[in-house]
Amino acid sequence: MTTIEVDWTRCDAHGLCSRLLPEKISLDEWGYPIIDGRVVDPALVQAARKAAMACPALALRVERGAM
Amino acid sequence: MTVIADPSQTTVHTFGAPRLLAGVAELGRVDLGHHVALHGEPVLRRRSWLSGATRDVNLLGRGGAGFPVADKLDAMPSGRVNVLVNGSESEPASRKDRTLMSSAPHLVLDGALVAAHALGSSDITIAVHDQRSYESLMLASQERRDTAGVRIVRTPDGFVAGEIRSVINGLNGEGYMPGGRRILPHHHGVDARPSFASNVETFAHLALLSRLGVADYARTGSTSEPGTSLLTLIGDVGGPGVVEVPNGIPLASLLPGQADAPVLIGGYHGTWVRSLGGLALDRVALRAVGAPLGAGVIARPYAGTCVLTEVVRVSNWLASESAGQCGPCFFGLPALADDVAALAAGAGADRLQSLARRVSLVRGRGACAHPDGSVQFISSAISALGDEFEAHARYGSCGRPPSDVLPLPGGVA
Ligand code: SF4
Ligand code: SF4
Repeated sequence: MTTIEVDWTRCDAHGLCSRLLPEKISLDEWGYPIIDGRVVDPALVQAARKAAMACPALALRVERGAM
Repeated sequence: MTVIADPSQTTVHTFGAPRLLAGVAELGRVDLGHHVALHGEPVLRRRSWLSGATRDVNLLGRGGAGFPVADKLDAMPSGRVNVLVNGSESEPASRKDRTLMSSAPHLVLDGALVAAHALGSSDITIAVHDQRSYESLMLASQERRDTAGVRIVRTPDGFVAGEIRSVINGLNGEGYMPGGRRILPHHHGVDARPSFASNVETFAHLALLSRLGVADYARTGSTSEPGTSLLTLIGDVGGPGVVEVPNGIPLASLLPGQADAPVLIGGYHGTWVRSLGGLALDRVALRAVGAPLGAGVIARPYAGTCVLTEVVRVSNWLASESAGQCGPCFFGLPALADDVAALAAGAGADRLQSLARRVSLVRGRGACAHPDGSVQFISSAISALGDEFEAHARYGSCGRPPSDVLPLPGGVA
């Protein structure tokens, strides 16, 4: 199972993540990401990784965990 | 019931025989001689004993989260560990921790020694930010000879700075703020070692439990939660101040009169309720009804005053306390405070909707408990104070004089 999480102390509301992963991430009224559930659908794992890599603030964590 | 006025103007009460506050009514501060006469020398136990006993009496942490102490003990790895006593009482409405530290400091030290011994450690840090508690603990540690491993550290003021993870980061030289990842003290605590970390009152209970044994400790309190608790009572209550009460007593006995008046339970990360109904002082039961006891603050505004004034004041303060690290908290809490102020000024249903939307945007989206706690305060006010908000929506105000019982830092009484 792959999960995605935001480190709120790092995120600067660049909004890039939402453009790269619109299926999963929208933005709130202040520009911060709203993630639709922690668990990433297998079909989106690749895109989630890309979004995490692209985040200028290194605020997104995509983790593969047992569970 | 004993009532004394203590020099810091915090009145101290007890219901029945005091335990943590034994001797405080008579002495003010219990020095070493009196402490030993009242409690004896600290009784040091093995880890397995302490873990079993804390489970038997269902001792729950007294800092706010109410986590079982036995689980915390069991989670501690063996090897080099340390003990962190958190006395950075950061909940502005609470006075119980500083009352305990300034009047019964030896009980706190005993408890820290009990925990350290059980964990095979001699490394104890006590974090405290108010001057009086600091002096009382320093004096107490100089009064005795078993405190070589104890260091007492002053921490900065601030709601979020007093949270245990902030305290650990601060002690490790990283600034008194929570980090971005949820790292638990028993993994990475003070000096990057595993820490057994809890609130000062928890440690005082450990001292009592170790001294009394399970059966005597459980002679007071309820079967689900034996023992006593320290509370801070504010406003229209039986006796305002810090009170030690047996667990399990009906909350109504602490707040006679005004059957359906709004009551704030837990503090500024707490919950407004409309009626105490059959609620009792039981941490598990209060959590189950959505009104956790938190830092042990119970406040009731006086009849005939406007509670909304106070809700607006505290909401603004909560917004100002955001440590500014996380966007949804930093932007969301001020926006919510504005919504609350607008509703109190008579704004209607639209504003209520925007508030509800923002509540969901702030909840769970920060590095610490501050946004969730603040949202709890605000959203419970909206539901428990529906009549008041309606009166304000209809007439712009309720015409009553403002309530002024909830203290804020900076001298606002
Ligand atoms: S790209 Fe990174 S910094 Fe930007 S909004 Fe997304 S998580 Fe936050
Ligand atoms: S959630 Fe708020 S108070 Fe907590 S660290 Fe983030 S910005 Fe600071």
